[in-house]
Amino acid sequence: MAQRRTNGSKLLMTVLCVVAACRAVPVTDLLDRASQRSDRLHSLSTMLTQELKMPEMAPLCLTISAAFSVQVVTNSPSRLQDSHFPPIGRVIMPRPAMCHTSSLQTPNDKEQALQVSESDLLSLARSLLRAWVDPLLVLSSSANTLPHPAQNSISNKIQELQEHSKSLGDGLNVLSGKMGPAAQTMSLLPYRGGNDLGQDKISKLINFQFLLSCLRRDSHKIDSFLKVLRCRAARMQPEMC
Amino acid sequence: MLLLLLLLRFSGAGVRMKGGLRLVVLLMLSVESSSLSPPGKPVLLGCRSPEKETFTCWWKPGLDGGLPTVHRLYYEREHLEGTHECPDYRSAGSNSCFFDKNHTYIWVDYHVMVEASNALGNVPSDPLKFDVMEIVRPYAPENVTLMVEEKQESPYLHIRWKHPSNTVSRSGWITIKYQLRVKQENSNDWKNYTSGTQMGFSLYSIHPGVVYEVQVRCTLDHSSWSEWSNTTFVKIPNCEFQRPFAPFVALQLVVKIVKRFLLPPVPGPKIRGVDVQLLKSGKSEDVLGALIVNQNFPPMVARKDQMEEYLIVSDGGEWLLPAPLKSQKKKKSSFIPAGFHLDSQCKESTPSQVQENKDEMKSSSNLEQKQEFSGINFAAADLQKGASENFMQRLPNSGYVDIQRQENIVEVDGILVDYSRVKEVNGDNVFILQKENVPLSLDVQRREESMSEDYSRVKEVNGDNVVLLNPHMTGLSKIGVCTDLSSDGYVDTIPAPSLI
Repeated sequence: MAQRRTNGSKLLMTVLCVVAACRAVPVTDLLDRASQRSDRLHSLSTMLTQELKMPEMAPLCLTISAAFSVQVVTNSPSRLQDSHFPPIGRVIMPRPAMCHTSSLQTPNDKEQALQVSESDLLSLARSLLRAWVDPLLVLSSSANTLPHPAQNSISNKIQELQEHSKSLGDGLNVLSGKMGPAAQTMSLLPYRGGNDLGQDKISKLINFQFLLSCLRRDSHKIDSFLKVLRCRAARMQPEMC
Repeated sequence: MLLLLLLLRFSGAGVRMKGGLRLVVLLMLSVESSSLSPPGKPVLLGCRSPEKETFTCWWKPGLDGGLPTVHRLYYEREHLEGTHECPDYRSAGSNSCFFDKNHTYIWVDYHVMVEASNALGNVPSDPLKFDVMEIVRPYAPENVTLMVEEKQESPYLHIRWKHPSNTVSRSGWITIKYQLRVKQENSNDWKNYTSGTQMGFSLYSIHPGVVYEVQVRCTLDHSSWSEWSNTTFVKIPNCEFQRPFAPFVALQLVVKIVKRFLLPPVPGPKIRGVDVQLLKSGKSEDVLGALIVNQNFPPMVARKDQMEEYLIVSDGGEWLLPAPLKSQKKKKSSFIPAGFHLDSQCKESTPSQVQENKDEMKSSSNLEQKQEFSGINFAAADLQKGASENFMQRLPNSGYVDIQRQENIVEVDGILVDYSRVKEVNGDNVFILQKENVPLSLDVQRREESMSEDYSRVKEVNGDNVVLLNPHMTGLSKIGVCTDLSSDGYVDTIPAPSLI
C-alpha cells in the first residue's frame, strides 16, 4: 500500500516537472518569434505604401491641383531621380506628424533606443500595436471598395496585416507577463478618424495613403524595438543581433 | 566686366553708394554681359541613409548665372524649433550635406531645401519632405568570395561575403537581408537567390568548366535594395573530378550487366488473393472486391509467439528503420515511427473502445520513435514472429504495405500505391495513404484522427489521409493496435495474436 503510494507520488512529481519544463518557453524564443512577425508586418506595410504610390495618382493630382491650387511636395522623396508624380500638380499629403500615434514618446535614434529599458521597449511596442486594431478595421473595410487598380492585392495584404497583428499582440501579451509589471503598462492611443475614409474617390485615396504611411512608421518602430529587445535578451546568441 | 564686378563687390562690402548708383552698375553689368543672372534653380536629388544612423542629401546646381554661386541647405524637423542650416557640407563631397549621428533622428519628418545664391539673388529649390526611415538604403555587401568545394565528387560553389562596411553594430538596431544572383558567363540569364540574414550561400547546381558570375546585394529593414556588389567570377575546374569517375563508371556498368543478364528477375509485388488489376481500376466496389477475392484467410489463431506488429511509416528517402524494431520480441506492437505521433490511448484501448477512439494512434511504449517526416509515403505493416523478423526495410519513394503472415511473407510493393488512393475508410482496417485524392472507399469504419500539418498525426481516417495500423484480434486489446480487425474477410494484415 505504502509502496503504491510512493510510486504514485513519484509519478505525479515527474509529470509535474515535465509539464512545468515543457510550458516554460524561453523568453528569447518568444522574442524571436515576435520579431519575425513584426518583420513581416513591416514588410507588408512597406509593400502597401509602395503599391499605393502609383502613376494612377497623377490624374487625381491634376484634378486636385486644379480644384484647390495648392502647392505641393512629391510623395517619393527618397529615391534619387525617382518621381511617381508629374512635375505639375502635386498634392499635399498629410504627413505622419498627424498620426493618431504621434503623441507617444518613443526613442528617435539608435542611442536613445539602446538606452530604453526592456520593459519600456515592450510596453511601447504593445501600445503601438494596440493602437492599430481599430484603424486596421477601417482600412480593411475601405480596401474592399478602394478605387485603385491594385485593390485586390491591397485588400489581401491588409487582411494578412490584421492576422499578423493579432497574433503578434497575443504573443506580446504573453511576453509582457514574463517581463514584470513595468512591461504590462500600456498607453492608450485612440483612433478618432471615424469609420470611413472619405466620401469621394480622391479623399478616400489620400486618407488611405496617409493611414498607411502612419502604419509604416509605427510598424517600423515596433519591429526595431522588438529586434533591439531580442538582441539584448539573447546575449549568448550573436545571431540574434 | 571685372571692374564692374569689383565695383559691385565694394558696394556690397559696405562702401556707401547711393541706391541709384548701384542700380546703374547692375544694369551696366547685365547689359555688358547678358549671361549674368540670378542662379538657376537647384534640384534636390535626394537623400540616403546607409545605416539608419546618418544620412546625406545631394543636390544638383542650376546654371550659375555667371556669378559665383553658393548653395546652402536648410532644414526643419518635426519636434524642432526653427530652420537650421546643414551641419556639414564637406564630408560627403561637393553639392552634398551630411547629417551625422547627432543630427539624425528617425521617425520624424525632415523638411529640406537648398538655396542657390549669387550676387543677383537667391533661388530656392523645391523642398523635400521625408522620414529617415524612408531613405534608408545600405551600401553593397563587400568581399564577395567564391570557393569551389568538392563533396562526393559533385562540386558546389560556396559563396561568402561581408556586410557593408559601415554597418558593424551588433545591437539589433538593424537587420540586413541579402540576395544574390548568379549567371553563367556567356548568358544573360541571372538566377536570383535569397539568403536571409546569412552571409554565405552554397550553390549546388553548377557545371564543371563553366565560368560563373556572382553578385550580392542587401536590404536593411525592408528598405530599398543596395546596389549590386562588384561581379565576382569563378571558373569551376573540371579536371580533377573526372579521375574518380572512370573506375566508378566501369564498376557500375559491370553491375548493370550482371543484374540484367545474369541474375534472375526480381518478382513484382503482389498480395495473394488480391486482384491488382481490379484495384487499379479505382472503383470502390471493385477495390473491395479485389481485396476480398480470396476468402481463404488462415484462421485467426492467437499466436503467442507473434508479438511484433508494427507499422513503419516514413517519408521515403529519409526513412530508416531503427534498430529497436529488430530487437522487438515479445513486446507490444504498433510501432509507427515518424510522422505519426501516436499517443498512448490508442495503445491501451480495447477493441470496442478503439472504434470510438478518436485519438491519434500511438507508438508502442518501447518504440516511441518520433521522427519528423515531411510526408507520408508508405507504411509497412509487418508481422513479426517471435524470433523471426521478416520485415522488409524498404525506402522507396512510393508507398507500400508490407504484409507478412506467418509463413507467407508477401511483400507487396506498390500495393500501397493503390491503397494510397483509398479515400475513406469505413471499417476497422485503415491503411496509410498518401495524400492523394482517390475515389475509393472501403467499408471500413471511420475513425477520426487529428492531423497536424506535418503529418505527425493522423487526422481523419475518413479523409484523404488515412492511416492504419495494426489490426488485432478481437478480444485482445492490449496490443497497441488502434483498430479492430473483424474476421470477416477483410484483408487481415496480421493474424492477431493474443498477446499483451
